[in-house]
Amino acid sequence: MNTQSNAIQDRSDALRVVVVGLASCFGCQLQITNAEAHLMDVLGQIDLKYWQLASSDPMPESFDVAVIEGAVTTEESERTVLELRKKASVLIAIGACATTAGIPGMAAEDFIERPVSVYEDVPDACGEMISPRSVGSVVPVDFEVRCCPIDSYDFIDVLQRALYGSNKTISTATLCGSCKRNETGCFYQQGVMCLGLVTRAGCGARCVNLGRPCNGCAGLSPDANLPAAREACKTAGVAVERFDKALEMFNQTDPALRDA
Amino acid sequence: MLYRVIEASEVPALVSAFMEAYEVVAPVRKGKVYAFDVITSPDQIELNYDRTITSPKKYFLPPKETLMTFDSRENQVTDFTAEITPRVIFGAHACDINALNRLDVVFKDGRYPDPYYQARRAATLIVGISCMPTETCFCHLWSSDEARFGYDLFLQDIGGKYLVSISSVEAANILESACNPREATDEERVEFRHATRKRQAAFNPDIPKIQEVAMLMDAFHEDSFWDEFGSKCLSCTACSSVCPTCFCFDIRDTLEPDGKTGRRERVWDACTAPQFAEVAGGHNFRSDAATRVRHRMYHKLNGFLATHDRMLCVGCGRCVKACKANINPIEVLKFFERKGAADAQ
Amino acid sequence: MPSSCAVSTVRVRPFEESPERRSGAQLMAANPYRPWPARITSITDLTEHEKLFEFRLVDDRIREAFHHQPGQFVELSLFGVGEAPISISSSPTKQGFIELCIRRAGTFTEALHKMQCGDIVGIRGPFGRGFPIDDMRGHDILLVAGGLGIAPLRSLINNIHDERSDFGKVTIIYGSRSPSEVMFRNQFEMWKHRKDFELHLTVDHPDPTWDGEVGVVTVPFAQLEIDPGNTFGAVCGPPVMYRFVIDEMSKKGIDYDHIYCSFERHMKCGMGKCGHCQIGHQYVCIDGPVFNYWEAKNIQGSM
Repeated sequence: MNTQSNAIQDRSDALRVVVVGLASCFGCQLQITNAEAHLMDVLGQIDLKYWQLASSDPMPESFDVAVIEGAVTTEESERTVLELRKKASVLIAIGACATTAGIPGMAAEDFIERPVSVYEDVPDACGEMISPRSVGSVVPVDFEVRCCPIDSYDFIDVLQRALYGSNKTISTATLCGSCKRNETGCFYQQGVMCLGLVTRAGCGARCVNLGRPCNGCAGLSPDANLPAAREACKTAGVAVERFDKALEMFNQTDPALRDA
Repeated sequence: MLYRVIEASEVPALVSAFMEAYEVVAPVRKGKVYAFDVITSPDQIELNYDRTITSPKKYFLPPKETLMTFDSRENQVTDFTAEITPRVIFGAHACDINALNRLDVVFKDGRYPDPYYQARRAATLIVGISCMPTETCFCHLWSSDEARFGYDLFLQDIGGKYLVSISSVEAANILESACNPREATDEERVEFRHATRKRQAAFNPDIPKIQEVAMLMDAFHEDSFWDEFGSKCLSCTACSSVCPTCFCFDIRDTLEPDGKTGRRERVWDACTAPQFAEVAGGHNFRSDAATRVRHRMYHKLNGFLATHDRMLCVGCGRCVKACKANINPIEVLKFFERKGAADAQ
Repeated sequence: MPSSCAVSTVRVRPFEESPERRSGAQLMAANPYRPWPARITSITDLTEHEKLFEFRLVDDRIREAFHHQPGQFVELSLFGVGEAPISISSSPTKQGFIELCIRRAGTFTEALHKMQCGDIVGIRGPFGRGFPIDDMRGHDILLVAGGLGIAPLRSLINNIHDERSDFGKVTIIYGSRSPSEVMFRNQFEMWKHRKDFELHLTVDHPDPTWDGEVGVVTVPFAQLEIDPGNTFGAVCGPPVMYRFVIDEMSKKGIDYDHIYCSFERHMKCGMGKCGHCQIGHQYVCIDGPVFNYWEAKNIQGSM
């Protein structure tokens, strides 16, 4: 019997999976349920031990795969992530919050000063807050499902990759190539700013297809060429400051943004 | 080759005749740009289009296609079905026809004919249309401003009329049934020569004409120009997505949500994509953008020529528009021009 | 998709069995992307990280049509995981079976290492240009392998072994990092005492059990006696090794076009199309993977 069948055949052989949500809107966990028609098929391939969105039982002691949604914003969540990494052989970060620190990451700048200036007393419920960060900046991550929110089928694809293995290339190319394939015009030709210049491809340029510029939710590509992108902005008459500011929404904690 | 003349007013009838038996694909407006798309009425065709975002390549090598389906438990192929639609590409420019002829060298002929490409090519008729160069066109530099073969009909605009080159029986029959093709008069032959001259004179004079480009690509392979030029690359692969001759692809397996069956797909890839030359174990033979850009240009302007006796660039100018970092063959030609000027001093 | 009136999309299956029974070669050519079922007939542990897999193509027509040269490769499929190019380790003289030597180095090889005898995989090929075995006949052969480079060279070595009288003096230098990483050690240990092979097994880092040579693969060159006009060199190993070995061979007087090296790239299609294995103007999958050094020098970006 080959490797694939071993995992699928029998529930007792199936990998034990936990799904955990940290600082996030839980929308990515919801996106998993949005696979609707295929949800049972997917669940049939794993032994789902814990799903924060759907269960109130405590997390089990041992499992194989940990799926993490959300950014790390408290000491408690940092401990959770370290614990998950220790127990799981495979760790999957899903959504912008987990992969880039996402929206919670916007608070990273002036982190200590800001809450105090907004609230008179920072509520205890927030726990011991730490500067927001991605899961990957706390522990090594094996697989990522990017974007805000994630695509249900991307999640299934990555989960299967973790379950059965795949030699599919994980590309770090940026988005503009997707728009050419889709034959949508380019926002820069109309002088409109779009973050596709430096954002990881993979979503198929979904927003652009809907007539909206890319807001960068897949995160900066490690191959992003910020100086060249800023030049492109200038050529198109888009203010570089606006471009840089817009990038902060999903990449506030990316060192590339600070160094550049 | 047979030549006949038809009136411009007969074109809608010709398109309609094709639509009886084929899916007709033609340049249409898509927002502010043009694209090849399926038409439902001859009125949709924009025969005066300057350039479509991508080329008709997508009808022969789709951006994503299933090569086969499989059963992952049995580890065996289950089916190879390819969907082929009999199709007419109406209104292809000479550069795009020349580009298809280059794809033919790789996918239709040669040692390993590609059954998917072959089936699509065999089921497709090409109707070409003459055009006038835009400021980013440089097809004349690679002799791609004329389509010598690779089409079924080619419509040469001679002012309210078309001189039609007829190359296949299939298309000739349809032309005959839909229009009143007639022998060209001496006057019309003169018109044709005028049209050709007018086109040849209209190319952007700022695009340098360089001799021996392939040899220069070798001679300046180690020049620091490539570092500077390539380091501007945004790694977005727009260049090869719009290129009518880029044919690199990736092959990958995707499981169905149930994990039991799946499909092996071929998807467009690009040598300017960061992971393109990566091997198992993670070593990347072209790990920086500069070497990737140089490799792409080298294949376009030297490599393909070395093995197939023609450039893998047809001068369509699409990448000139698509690349936000201004990386394109014209810039390479300008570099060679600067080098020549520097040497002359 | 909107479509004009009378058009109907046809589903073509140009790859199926036609009414008349096709030959293996015809079947393979009908769709060269099609992997053919092959059964794992034997698995041998070579080292901690490498195993030798032996496969037998299930369809007898395909099996009979499968002929390879030493140095060629196949595309191996694990459906769902993907496909990978692997050089053939067995000699063409071993008919009916294909041996592949596989290091556990990534997802694909990981999955393969979990498989067992009797399991089915997909194989298509063979692809590429191998060593010029026919030109090599009648000449002395100097083979230099480093690490996993032994995998493609073993095909050539075993071929020479099986047709030993066709070749002149045969010298084999095989370098590994440590004794535990020496592959096919039993075979080579036995050959140590043969007079018709000059064998230099060398390791970079010896342990107490090692009684062979120590040092990188270029060390044994000092003691080699070579008839340069009558010798073919064959090199395979990690990229850093090539320059040093080719240097040594050149110093011994072997012409550039008599020194053959095998290149590693990710050949995804194997047919000169997908572009992943391209170096300069050449496709490693059809123009190589074996190039002589003269050819290699003329490829931009090869060394």
